[in-house]
Amino acid sequence: MATVAIPRAPGRDRWLSLLPYVVLGLATIPILVLYVWLFYSSFFPRIEGFRPIGGFTFDNWRFLWDPASVPQMRNRPPIIPLTVNTLLFATLTSLISLLVSSMAGYAFSRLRFKGRRVFLGGVLLLHSFPSVTLLIALFVVLRTLGLYDKLVGVILVQTAFALPFGIWIMKGFFDNIPWDLEMSALVDGAGRLRTWWRIMLPLVKPGLLALGILLFVEGWNQFLLPFVFMPSGSQQTLSTLVRGILGEGRFVDYGLLTAVGLYYILPVLVLFVVAQEQLMRIYAGGVKG
Amino acid sequence: MRVVLEHLTKKFGDVAAVDTIDLEARSGEFVALLGPSGCGKTTTLLMIAGIYRPTSGTIVFGDRRVDHLHPKDRGIGMVFQSYALYPHMTVAENIGFPLELQRAVGKQERDQRVREAAGRVEVDELLDRRPSQLSGGQQQRVALARALVKRPDILLLDEPLSNLDARLRHDMRGEIKRLQKQVGITSIFVTHDQLEALTMADRVAVMRNGRLQAYATPAELYAHPANRFVAEFIGTPPMNFFPAELAARNGSIVARAEGIEIELAHPPGGEAGRQATVGIRPEHVAIVGPGEGNASGELFVLEPMGREQIVDVQVGERRLRVIAPPGFTARIGDRVGLRFAPERLHLFDPTSGERLS
Repeated sequence: MATVAIPRAPGRDRWLSLLPYVVLGLATIPILVLYVWLFYSSFFPRIEGFRPIGGFTFDNWRFLWDPASVPQMRNRPPIIPLTVNTLLFATLTSLISLLVSSMAGYAFSRLRFKGRRVFLGGVLLLHSFPSVTLLIALFVVLRTLGLYDKLVGVILVQTAFALPFGIWIMKGFFDNIPWDLEMSALVDGAGRLRTWWRIMLPLVKPGLLALGILLFVEGWNQFLLPFVFMPSGSQQTLSTLVRGILGEGRFVDYGLLTAVGLYYILPVLVLFVVAQEQLMRIYAGGVKG
Repeated sequence: MRVVLEHLTKKFGDVAAVDTIDLEARSGEFVALLGPSGCGKTTTLLMIAGIYRPTSGTIVFGDRRVDHLHPKDRGIGMVFQSYALYPHMTVAENIGFPLELQRAVGKQERDQRVREAAGRVEVDELLDRRPSQLSGGQQQRVALARALVKRPDILLLDEPLSNLDARLRHDMRGEIKRLQKQVGITSIFVTHDQLEALTMADRVAVMRNGRLQAYATPAELYAHPANRFVAEFIGTPPMNFFPAELAARNGSIVARAEGIEIELAHPPGGEAGRQATVGIRPEHVAIVGPGEGNASGELFVLEPMGREQIVDVQVGERRLRVIAPPGFTARIGDRVGLRFAPERLHLFDPTSGERLS
């Protein structure tokens, strides 16, 4: 195969190939810088700009083992229950959303029922609703159901908000599976539910995993809903703790704040690193027609 | 088990994809549904399978009506054009899936039947592989095994050979036919390839625009096609057609067209002077010396095929295709004569296309 080489000065070539790196670098550097600052700030007593003052210390991290000495942690459950609450919240919302989304997505993708179009449009509409606008209405609903200030209530609300997105994503994945596989399952004797469970779900695994991770992170980071609907002590989440540390905003203990912040993002970082490999593997193995 | 379709119709909105089909496949017979794309053959098959519900008409397996039954209650096995193997399961799991769903079959019996089915189509060495690790031919055989493992009464195949390369297609044609005869199962398959239909089926149903055009043995369809469409569809290279006038001459009827005059061996009834479409297959026309035979024309092009040659001859306004023996040589532009075998002529009504004689 003959290629026509356009004569170019070798210097110019090297510049051009560096360009993508330059652009990406410029975009990434601020984020890296912020993370470095976060790290510094949490391990040193004070920090001016980027200059740490004082020696390396674990003092900011004492909320882990000695919460009584941290004023912002007064009237709050200790760190472990907070973490567990957050974990529970994120896991449960993502699992329930996954279950419902995968079933609803399948129904929208494959079944023909009255009002399907309307429902689908409604799902899209719901997705564009910011949670803030519905706060008051939700408050009333939760109070009426007796679910106000309960973890269950917030889980339900979070799940409800996550569903439109989840359904849309899962429907997309199901749409990509060829019809014959289902026809074949029908002929083989599988009913709808079994077809969904044995054939369709395994084939949308990448979608399920991706959605699950997204939903988990959303739940983990969720502040507004737990803050508004679970104000009392025992069932708070880490996000409310962070809010509490921010307090009035005038005198903020940045050391504590960044330490808690780092603590907060650590599980998600780990999750991403681990899941990345899984995701790659699944995409490589994948569905072969 | 026989299959009877009675006035079977399927409408999508106002469009009739399948229009009043009446068909019977005898027990153990291998029937082909043949036709161009969009003629309704796959829709018919899917109705037989129970995946589509007919708009009207009935489907009978043996002596019971099945058109209201779920696919799994019909006792059918089906092979799809794309094989539809479950990608996340091994070959053994794929083949065993229909049995898994039947609670009556225990694990041990299931494994044994899977092995038996796999052995019959010669994939028993591949039981632990995934479909993505198999070749096209192997995938198809796995699909066949899966269809047959539950010992169905009827086997349905949707374009089983379309996804295979030419060589493999030839091999699988014979294998499927042999398998069908061995198992003795009533089978219906759909294809757009007339060669496939002719070589594999006991009887072929030719369809067009949702309607049944002809239903007969391959030999019958080849020798006595019921109408022009069937005549043109069956046989490769396709039949030659030209309009002609039927005239009386010396006590017999001849078909006359520009540069062509043929005496008819079996003249149709009716008055002389009417128009008809004459059909003759390329293999029934012989090239003779210029001035001899029924027609004369000019050689247009010569295509050697090894075993024979396809010769296009320009006769007046028309180009006729003729099969010539390998030894035949001529140059483009040479004048040649054509002799038509009179018993091999087909006459069709010029408007309806129906067979006249």
